[in-house]
Amino acid sequence: MRENERAPVLYSGPAVAASLAVLLAFFTLMVSHHVSRLTPALDKAVHAFGHWIPGAIGSGPDGSIGSYSGKETLAIVVWLTSWLLLHWLWRKQDFCLALWLRCFVITLFLIVLGFFHPLADPVVLFIADALGVI
Amino acid sequence: MSTGQHTNDSFNKLVIRAQVIIAASLLLLLPVANFFFPSAYGFKAGIHGVIAISALVVGTYLTHRAVPWLKGVQVNFESLRRWLLAATLLNLAGAISGNWIYMRYRGEDGPRDWILGNVPVFHTVLMEFKEFVSLFPFPLMLLATFMLYFYGLPIQTRRDLTRFVGVTVLVAWSFLLLGFVAGLVLAKLRFV
Repeated sequence: MRENERAPVLYSGPAVAASLAVLLAFFTLMVSHHVSRLTPALDKAVHAFGHWIPGAIGSGPDGSIGSYSGKETLAIVVWLTSWLLLHWLWRKQDFCLALWLRCFVITLFLIVLGFFHPLADPVVLFIADALGVI
Repeated sequence: MSTGQHTNDSFNKLVIRAQVIIAASLLLLLPVANFFFPSAYGFKAGIHGVIAISALVVGTYLTHRAVPWLKGVQVNFESLRRWLLAATLLNLAGAISGNWIYMRYRGEDGPRDWILGNVPVFHTVLMEFKEFVSLFPFPLMLLATFMLYFYGLPIQTRRDLTRFVGVTVLVAWSFLLLGFVAGLVLAKLRFV
């Protein structure tokens, strides 16, 4: 590299934006999953978002993926829109990636625990009861 | 380096590669057998199985490629980028084929009905966990791939960015493994 050539400036903002969007998508997946399990009406409401996915509706031996389609749809929408928005906002921002990496891994771990029913169900039922959903 | 050492290194490489090829081929026979199972859904199960094992093998290989970046060591950037892209596409295919076979899992007299009737905890805990965790590797691999294509070769000048990619690959692999093992247990319990 010649002396007058400078290394390009790299901002960590786009990396933080992309990874936060992934976390938001996983969180949406978790919330929509628990919401759909509370009442048949809520399951139907979540399912409605995913009717566009092939195999979302159907019965018999071939089956269908049911309200899983709605959960996937909501997660994809949150993922892509938040990624675009955050990327645009933080494209010239530099964050402390070492700190964000810890936050990212810990949050991911907590979200994973949210999919483990023996742990998550009491919390979900407590929140749903407090909000008067059930 | 003496000639003896060089020969030993080459031999080690040969043994490792042969071991990987033999192990991966035998492992792939596991889902390939699904194509010949007496079920109307053997083809779907076979496709998902082959993709899932391929994604796991590539993901495992990528963890070895990612470790040097955790230590700040320079890697073959172009090669890593191509492997990550391949892993991303494989995981996307895994999620799509997973949706495909999941329909039959929930179908009339499908594995879900049998599991709920006999060992419900395998559905209410294991499957309800697996069906979501299995979706995680694709966005995580895409995140790592995006970083390599967005920042390009200069990413190697920032160790915090390369470390982030390395950790993301390791995390994606752990979800791949979780999903794979859970899927294997469920398929063993009741085939589609």
